Amino acid sequence: MRQIKKIKVVIAGPFAAGKTQFINTVSEIKTVKTERRTQQSSEKSVKDYTTVAMDFGKVRIDDEHELYLFGTPGQFRFDFMWEILGEGALGIVILVDSTDPTTFHEARKIINFFQSRFPVPIVVGANKQDMPNAWSPEDVRIALDIDEEEGIPVIPVSAIDKESVKNALLTLFEIIRTNLTG
Amino acid sequence: MALTGDLRSFNFVDIFQVIGKDRKSGILFMEWKDLTCAYYVKEGEIIFARPIDKVYRVYADKDFDLLLSKLRMSAEGLSKTLERFLISRLNMKEGIFSFTPGFIKYGGEYPVVYPIEELIVLASRNLTPEEVERKISDELLLFERVPGKEEVLQKAKLNQMEWHILSLIDGERTVLQIRQMVNQDSLLADRALYALLALGLIRRKKKEVKQKQAPITLELLAKIIERIRSL
Ligand SMILES: Nc1nc2c(ncn2[C@@H]2O[C@H](COP(=O)(O)OP(=O)(O)O)[C@@H](O)[C@H]2O)c(=O)[nH]1
Ligand SMILES: [Mg+2]
Repeated sequence: MRQIKKIKVVIAGPFAAGKTQFINTVSEIKTVKTERRTQQSSEKSVKDYTTVAMDFGKVRIDDEHELYLFGTPGQFRFDFMWEILGEGALGIVILVDSTDPTTFHEARKIINFFQSRFPVPIVVGANKQDMPNAWSPEDVRIALDIDEEEGIPVIPVSAIDKESVKNALLTLFEIIRTNLTG
Repeated sequence: MALTGDLRSFNFVDIFQVIGKDRKSGILFMEWKDLTCAYYVKEGEIIFARPIDKVYRVYADKDFDLLLSKLRMSAEGLSKTLERFLISRLNMKEGIFSFTPGFIKYGGEYPVVYPIEELIVLASRNLTPEEVERKISDELLLFERVPGKEEVLQKAKLNQMEWHILSLIDGERTVLQIRQMVNQDSLLADRALYALLALGLIRRKKKEVKQKQAPITLELLAKIIERIRSL
C-alpha cells in the first residue's frame, strides 16, 4: 500500500478565535477533540469547553496526498506543542475574533511567534465578520500592527461559512504558489 | 464598522493609532466611570471633546458648525476641551470606548493643537508594565527605523528620553540592550518603544530567513488549489 503524504497547514489564534469552527467547516472528518472544562472563570463565560489536545481536520487531495489542518491548542501558549505544529507546515492561518479586541495583543504575539521561527506564508483571518460588532479587516490590520512590508494579508473570514473558509485557504495557497514560481 | 472595546485591554495608544492610521472621521465615545464623553474626530485628528448625558444628543447635532455656535464655542476654545476631558484622563484605565465613523458634518478647517501623534506620545507615558508587555513582549525583539517620517516626528513632540531611545534604534540593538543603555527605569524605555511603534517611526525588523527548498511541487499545489475550490 502506498504511503499517504501529509500536507500540513496550521490554524492558529487566540482562545475562541474560531479555529475549531474553521477546521470543522471544511474538514472531511470532524475534529478530534479532547475537550476539558476550562478553569479560568473569564474564559468560561465564552464557552464551557476548550481544546486541550489538538484539533485537526483533513481533506483528501488524491491517492497519495492529504491536506491536514492543525489547530493550535488553546491553553498552553507557545509551548513545545506549537513548535512541533509549525515544523514542516506549508503555511499558517492566524484567526482573530474581530468582535473581541481584548484578544488582539495575543494575536500579535502569535504572529511574532510563527514569523520568527517558520519562514512560511501567513494569512490573518479577521473572523466572525458575520457579527454586527466585528471590526473590519482593515481596522484589525492596524490594531495588530501589520505593516505592508510584512506581506501578511488580513482578510475577512466567517468560519461558519464554507465559502469563506475556502477563500482563506485559497489565499494562503496562492501565496505559496507565488513564492514557488517567483 | 464598529470599533468598540474596553480600555483595560485596548489602551489609548492603541485607540489613537487606529483612529489616526487611515485618517478616520466620526465620534469616539468614552464611557468613563464618572461621565460619558464624546470626542469629535475629523480626518484622524481629535478636535473637540464634550461630556454628554445621553448619547442620542450627539446624534441630534450632526452639523458641527451649528453645534459650535449653539455651544458658543470659539475655535480657540476647542483645544481647551481636549485638555479638560481627554489629556487629563489619559492616566485613567477604566472605561469603555466605541468609535462610530461618519455621520458628523464638518464645515471647514479647525485648529489642531494636539495632533493625534502627540496624543499617542502623551498616552504612552501612562502605560503600565502590563500594558507595554503586550507589544514589547520579548527582550530579543529587534526594531528598525522607518525612513521618511519627518512630519510625524515633528508632530509627536518627543521628550529628550524618547528621542534618545529613537536614536538608539538601528536594527541591531535588541530591546534588552536598549533598556540597558538608557540608565533609567526600563518602563520608560518600553513606553517610548510602544509609542514609536504606534507612530510608525519604528517597526519590527524581519528576520532574514532563507526559504528552504520548497517541500512541494507546483503540480501538487495546483491540485490542492483545485481540490479546495471544489469543496
Ligand atoms: N458568528 C460566528 N461565530 C463563530 C465564528 N467562528 C467561530 N464562532 C463561534 O465562536 C466560538 C469559539 O469558536 P471555536 O472554534 O471553539 O474557537 P477556538 O477556541 O479558536 O477553537 C464558538 O461558539 C463558535 O461557534 C464565525 O465566523 N461567526
Ligand atoms: Mg478550539
